[in-house]
Amino acid sequence: MTAVLETRGISVSYGGVSALDHVDVQVAEGQLVGLIGPNGAGKTTWIDAVCGLARSTGETWLGGSNITALTPAARARAGLGRTWQAAELFEDLTVRENLAVAADRRPMWRLVWEALTGAESDPPGIESTLDLLGIGDLGDVAADALTQGQRKLVGVARALAPGPRVVCLDEPAAGLDTAESGLLGQRLRRVVETGVAMLLVDHDMGLILDVCDWVVVLEFGRVIASGPPEAVRRDPKVVEAYLGGAAEESRAALGASAIGTEV
Amino acid sequence: MDHPVLELQRVTAGYDGATVIRDLDLTVAPGEIVALLGANGAGKTTTLRVSSRILPAMSGTVRFAGEDVGRLAPHRLAQRGLAHVPEGRGVFFGLTVAEHFKLAYGRERLDFAHALSYFPALAELRDRRAGLLSGGEQQMLALARALARRPRLLLIDELSLGLAPVIVERLLPTVRRVAEETGAGVLLVEQHVRLALEIAHRGYVMSHGEVVLERPIDELRRDRSLLIASYLGEERAEPALQGAPGTGGAAG
Amino acid sequence: MEQVLAFALLGLGPGALYAGISLGVVLNYRGCGVINVAMGAIAVLGAYVFYGLRTGGYLFLPPLPFVPARIDLGGPVGVVPALVVAILVCALTGWLLDVVVLRALRNASPLAMLMATLGLMLSIQAVILLRFGASGQSAPSVLANGPGDVVHILGVTVPSDEFELAGIVIVAALALAALYRWTRFGLATRAASENETTAVLAGLPPARLSAINTVLAASLAAALGVLVAPLTQLDSSTIPLAVVPAFGAALLARFTSFSIAAVAGVGMGVIESLVTYLQSRPWFPTTHGAQLPGVSDVIFFAIIVAAMYWRGGALPQRGSLVERRLPKVPRPNRLERPAIVCAVLCVAAFLLFTYDFRQAAINSLIGMVVCLSLVVIIGFVGQVSLLQVGLAGVAAFAVSKLSANAGIGFPLGPLLAIVIAVFVGVAAAASALRVRGVNLAVVTLAAAVALENFVFENPTWGGGFTGSPVGPPHLFSVDLSTQASFPAGGGQLPSPVFGLVCTVGVIAAGLLVASMRRGRLGQQMLAVRSNESAAATAGISVRNVKFLAFGVAAAIAGLAGVLYAYNFGSVSADRFDVINALVFVSFAYVGGITSVTGAVIAGLGVTEGVIGHILEKWLGVPASYQLYVAGLLLMATLIMLPEGIAGGPAPPPPVRVISRLIVGPARARRSRAAIDGTLQRADS
Repeated sequence: MTAVLETRGISVSYGGVSALDHVDVQVAEGQLVGLIGPNGAGKTTWIDAVCGLARSTGETWLGGSNITALTPAARARAGLGRTWQAAELFEDLTVRENLAVAADRRPMWRLVWEALTGAESDPPGIESTLDLLGIGDLGDVAADALTQGQRKLVGVARALAPGPRVVCLDEPAAGLDTAESGLLGQRLRRVVETGVAMLLVDHDMGLILDVCDWVVVLEFGRVIASGPPEAVRRDPKVVEAYLGGAAEESRAALGASAIGTEV
Repeated sequence: MDHPVLELQRVTAGYDGATVIRDLDLTVAPGEIVALLGANGAGKTTTLRVSSRILPAMSGTVRFAGEDVGRLAPHRLAQRGLAHVPEGRGVFFGLTVAEHFKLAYGRERLDFAHALSYFPALAELRDRRAGLLSGGEQQMLALARALARRPRLLLIDELSLGLAPVIVERLLPTVRRVAEETGAGVLLVEQHVRLALEIAHRGYVMSHGEVVLERPIDELRRDRSLLIASYLGEERAEPALQGAPGTGGAAG
Repeated sequence: MEQVLAFALLGLGPGALYAGISLGVVLNYRGCGVINVAMGAIAVLGAYVFYGLRTGGYLFLPPLPFVPARIDLGGPVGVVPALVVAILVCALTGWLLDVVVLRALRNASPLAMLMATLGLMLSIQAVILLRFGASGQSAPSVLANGPGDVVHILGVTVPSDEFELAGIVIVAALALAALYRWTRFGLATRAASENETTAVLAGLPPARLSAINTVLAASLAAALGVLVAPLTQLDSSTIPLAVVPAFGAALLARFTSFSIAAVAGVGMGVIESLVTYLQSRPWFPTTHGAQLPGVSDVIFFAIIVAAMYWRGGALPQRGSLVERRLPKVPRPNRLERPAIVCAVLCVAAFLLFTYDFRQAAINSLIGMVVCLSLVVIIGFVGQVSLLQVGLAGVAAFAVSKLSANAGIGFPLGPLLAIVIAVFVGVAAAASALRVRGVNLAVVTLAAAVALENFVFENPTWGGGFTGSPVGPPHLFSVDLSTQASFPAGGGQLPSPVFGLVCTVGVIAAGLLVASMRRGRLGQQMLAVRSNESAAATAGISVRNVKFLAFGVAAAIAGLAGVLYAYNFGSVSADRFDVINALVFVSFAYVGGITSVTGAVIAGLGVTEGVIGHILEKWLGVPASYQLYVAGLLLMATLIMLPEGIAGGPAPPPPVRVISRLIVGPARARRSRAAIDGTLQRADS
């Protein structure tokens, strides 16, 4: 499998403090990769760097071409999508308009021409994207009238609408309850099956372990582990990063819980 | 009758119409250290913010030392003895260490000596601007300033954020000393779970805005699988999603 | 060389005013995060209170029901009590501004706060116009400035008060710096301005700190206003507009350092005085044998732009307690029906109205076009450009010059004029790419002042003192001008024909703006307004969208300018001055900055417009009160109706019937319950 999105030795520092330190992450085609780690580990910073919003060193590759020098908008047009922790929907637009404005990649002169001639048309694929995420009925609702759960789904739909090769999801399950988070997972899986690769940052480990094909763990801006979900879950280094404590202790606890005995 | 120093009753709160915590009940007794645990996004920080009133509750009651403070301005609550060390930066980067201890309003006087008795290292840093301190020193300053006000309730949010574990291991035991010596209640949000377990008396585990577990700390310490499950997900053979839909509650 | 020194030293006094206002601006910013445009107006308020007390022995009061125009004290008041009262009046004004207006706007955007101070500035100016007239007064001196009160230094003789004023303002700056450094109040303000949340948690009361700082700022500005007024002109606009160089000084001080603000402010005065000296040199360019006007305003503008870039662009952001919200931008449901109904109403009006109402209607229609330009740039893209009226002026003067100098008349002339306005607008956009929010407001304010004084008042490029003539428009030998003959209308000016021309212009601009809001380009603009980063990562080119918005807004402003030019047959600079620009922006906010409906309401309300004419003719409210009311309304609207009148609550029944008639029956909005039901189904 080839990597559709890849960072090579990417580093970001804010005011002398290192937020990411030579991070290599690969997202293979058709895969859902989880990026996890304790608060402040650098997960959102990684997405910002990939999207060109955070100044970084190192290289970012998208589908075999180096996009390091591109602006955020050009990266998006090259097939990179993202969502935001706070959804960041365009509040004055309806759900359908939110998708259409992102999906419409025609040059500005064409848009001006169409506006002048009154021959505007929506880009294709918007309804199917809404249906894919199970929000087909929300098309005409104003973005500021949505519930938190709906906002997150619309955010994902907006990132998918232009038909990207890969989408980075920043905590799509934050603020959702358990049931909503589960539903979101099912729908993300459905999206991956259509061939879009995804990188999922979230703190809901249930969601990550259920839906991801591969998990990368960050701590203090460095990759400390990566592998299939169950292997990562059992990795003492990961348990330590989350809960603290000596690896020995954690290993013992993991062993205990695995065989279901009380200590 | 000694009131709990903090009591939340069926508190619901959130931002901009989106609920983050729902129907939360929680108490902190004087001299007691309560750890608030759970994965990120579970609503721990929101619980602290609603306790110090910088986030108004949508419904429910917040009591401080037995008194309903639902209408009190947050700075008044602070003046009555609630000290909240917020996540990230609880200090003012433009002010020197010494200036932090002159920072008070009205008749309040801060007890720098009292704070120094817990953090003697700050004496040498008196004239340094907070923005130039290391992360650990900043957190030390934030804690010290909170202590200098001799609070009755201390809310501490993610003291260890971005700090090396060694430093956290030095800071947190001080919190225990404060609770024992001054009788202040402490509500602690801490991602460094092992350390939180070492110093706390009681623990709440939150998930998706609700308390899912409330235990004396000994139990949480003994049975680590309880915590691992809530942080890293249940060990299971098949995806948990099977049970999730049908409850249909997307009305966030 | 001695002359250079003499001129430089003569700039100290005016520089002290800039410095004093600048200190007030910095104090106000640090205290509550507002960029206070009214600080110069507060200074002039102090100067006029002092003037009234010293020369007439009275305290003038603003026009309020049941309140007399003045309180007579039976004879001129002494210097010290007059100064104290002047400062107290301004302190009270500052306190009211903070407690009544700014506190209510704490959840609003920083821009809303800036706009509110604009409302205060206009109100103060209006009160002064109402009480003292437009001609200006000579201010009584405070510091000794007799023939003997001079200083001899290096061979030049300079009045001693120049030094005293500069000394006073420097001492004030040092005192403020000390206050902020060593007192508990200063520490608390510094803490609250760095991070309000943490300050609240530390038990500090931000609201009270903010009020004290605003009062302090207003008092300081008042004191300097009183002291410096004798050295400058005392009228309703000179000292208020001293905020522009004061902003330059404050920017150089990053809105933080008192000493830099004071020194830079004094420096601005020195620069201005040196420009006067250079203009007396034979080699300095002149225009028609006269001095080039507005050179120092161009320099102030350049300093502000340079400071903006050099100081890293953005102001230090305050950590605020609450998330700030922008007014909503409603989507117009229908285009054709309201356009046709409005066109019919306008035609009927021009056929039936008497000449005075025709003129008022024409003024309103042109005002609507100006406000439509503001809707695009401020409402849709969130870029507060105070330059739009200036761009209208560019087009108006272009029409005049093209017809007078190049013989290019209607319709090519006005088209070229609009193109020129678009070029200037897009050039302005080039600066807006890096500057946004309140900073853009400050830059465009300085640009508008420079444009007015340097270009419009220039007799060659602009109107000079007499104005620049415009030939009447003819299309295929049909007279479209205000003098065109027409069977209806009684033959009095203006001709209904020109009213119909304006109607066509308004309908075209309104349709353009409304359909843009509905179309993809408008969606892109709203996306950029929501969140520039989110828009960029959704593949939208933020740069192109801003260029387009500035271009379209400039074209609409240019159209307004062209109509202006033909309306008056002559173009003069005062039509496009900064005060007018600010008045238009306030009316646009009051009407509703985010919609075409809002622009229409705003246009009806503009000075000399339909509502104003009704008020004046039928109710006897003179036009001079309208500026006063506009300023107060602006503040009230920002607090109570952030989306303006157009976005406010349901209007009274008669108005509702009329709007139903224009827009058509309301479409049912989907209720929240229906939306939730949809989701439940989507989930199962």
